[in-house]
Amino acid sequence: MEKKDKDQLKSPMDRRDFLRTCSAFVAGGVAVASGGLLAAKASAKEGEVFWQIDPYKCTQCGRCETDCVLTVSAVKCFHANKVCGYCDLCGGYYRPNVKELNTAAENMMCPTGAITREFVEEPYFEYTIDEDLCTGCGKCVKGCTSFGNGSLFLQIDQEKCQQCNECAIARVCPSDAIQRVSNAHAYKLKDHA
Amino acid sequence: MNKKKLTYITIGVIVFYTCLLIGWHLYDPSTSFTELQPGADHRPAGHIRKADDVLIGEFFMKETSNQPSSQLTGEWPCFRGINHNNQTSKSSTMKWVEGDFEEIWEVETGEGHAAPVISEGRVYVLDYDEQLSSDALRCFDLLTGQQLWRRWYRVPMKRNHGFSRTIPAISNGLVVTIGPEGHVMCCDKLTGDMKWSIDMKKRFGTEIPFWYTGQCPLIDHDQLVLAPAGKDTLMVGVDVKTGKTLWGTPNTINFKMSHSSVIPMTLGGTQTYVYIGVGGVCGVSAEEANRGQLLWSANKWQPSVVAPSPTQISQNQVFLVAGYGAGGALLQVDKSGTSWNASIKDSYKANEGMSSEQQTPINYQGTLITILPKDGGGMRERLAMYRPTNLHNPIWTSAADERFGLGPYIIIDDRLFAFKEDGELYVYQLNTDSMKLLKKQRVMDEGVDAWGPMAYADGMLIVRDSKTIKCLKIAEDNTAKR
Repeated sequence: MEKKDKDQLKSPMDRRDFLRTCSAFVAGGVAVASGGLLAAKASAKEGEVFWQIDPYKCTQCGRCETDCVLTVSAVKCFHANKVCGYCDLCGGYYRPNVKELNTAAENMMCPTGAITREFVEEPYFEYTIDEDLCTGCGKCVKGCTSFGNGSLFLQIDQEKCQQCNECAIARVCPSDAIQRVSNAHAYKLKDHA
Repeated sequence: MNKKKLTYITIGVIVFYTCLLIGWHLYDPSTSFTELQPGADHRPAGHIRKADDVLIGEFFMKETSNQPSSQLTGEWPCFRGINHNNQTSKSSTMKWVEGDFEEIWEVETGEGHAAPVISEGRVYVLDYDEQLSSDALRCFDLLTGQQLWRRWYRVPMKRNHGFSRTIPAISNGLVVTIGPEGHVMCCDKLTGDMKWSIDMKKRFGTEIPFWYTGQCPLIDHDQLVLAPAGKDTLMVGVDVKTGKTLWGTPNTINFKMSHSSVIPMTLGGTQTYVYIGVGGVCGVSAEEANRGQLLWSANKWQPSVVAPSPTQISQNQVFLVAGYGAGGALLQVDKSGTSWNASIKDSYKANEGMSSEQQTPINYQGTLITILPKDGGGMRERLAMYRPTNLHNPIWTSAADERFGLGPYIIIDDRLFAFKEDGELYVYQLNTDSMKLLKKQRVMDEGVDAWGPMAYADGMLIVRDSKTIKCLKIAEDNTAKR
């Protein structure tokens, strides 16, 4: 009777085989899933679309700064060095009617100090945007576009953009400047036009 | 809970919140801030700009294409046109446009009254950009209004009935401008290349009038004639190609700069530059033999503010006019041997005869045409015609509802175009003793202060109000399509 019970309790697979089988299944599953994900991602890269601003349609209304779902907008000011005139008197750098042409805070157009410049040679300066400080307000872009070459322009930083199904900024953009673009045109850069 | 325990808890809570409050006050969140102070761009010490440092013509920008889209040849090269009389004619192959004039293009400008000139299919205007606090010479394509290039320089100034004022002058392939603060700039008219400049305040000690410089440059015999009316120099002649001073007229009569411009005339058989300054009116020789010599002056009529320029009405008579109650005056210039005598033969208040506040009257086939000033009595702001022999009674005035304020007017062939200061264009058929209204057209919706003189060339009339320039097609070619 006791022998019969022992035979009935004996598993058809011992513990080692069981673990080996399970490991094989898990490894296979992970391999299949990873492959599938990679394949899906690779195929999506081609057809994936991003939100982006057409700088030639943008009117710098200021809504990019306030309507993005992110606390600090994903829209940033970009600078096309090839287009820039390197002007000392830059409409995107200085506020209107400044008394002195120097870098004191009261003279700056950018409310967060995101635009800096370095003297090159008289009367030229090289301008740089600190993206971390930029809030996408577009004040500098308006100043540069209204009288300069338009080398400053707004773009959606794809690293920060959440790619919402319906872009909150696009919904309110008065000039219909925000569109879905393909991966190949994720940015509309003025110096690459 | 015993009383002692309760006391400890109360004291503990008070201490905790007191510490929290003190800590909150002592905490300085700005330690991570970076102060923006002068010098962050590492501009060398020797290049630091002061607020009043003006480098005339220092900035330049050209568009992708800086060539006009047409081969037009019409000219309106300076204040009051080629003949300095605000009259021109359309080509014989052109006919007037029937019905409403088509608006070809429009451009926004800074607030002001600076008017354009036209040369070889290009339009030039000395604008003022408030954002950059800069005078800006802008060159446009006459046919499309496309900006071809612009050259500008920083001149911080306060708004005072807008900013821009003057009309450029074109000659010898050059364009010359005078900014509201008396900055003279000369550029290549095609490329915009900077040639030379003069700061009249610094060089001549000019005192800029309250409403800024209204003087338009005059180019005569390849010389730029300026009236700085400064401490020592009344008038000066400058080689327009090099900017070098060729002659100067000492300011022995102590005139100061007005808003009026120098007008060339032939008086008593002598070519003369006539200028109304603050202090009176004067004539300076334009003859090659003694160019720059002060011939005569008169100070019996000297309004404190003068905007219109003098108008010649005969070989020895000049009509003078000014606003703000000054009225008009008739100047007679007589030559006896080598001596000259200038005398005021008649002068009167604005409501007693022909007058004008801002625009310069036109002498058209023996009649004088003006828009009467606001203080011109019952006929104020109406268009009026006078005989030079009777400056007190008009021979014709526009209807009671045809009042133009400080608006400009121009004659093309036998038509007078008058632009009401709110932006409505009136067209009159000119006769020798009257005018007939042909049509009127609203050009500016809610136009404001349309005071800048008009310019005409190649069938196109350019008008402006305080912030917009528009180009109208008023005549078209009968024979060829562009």
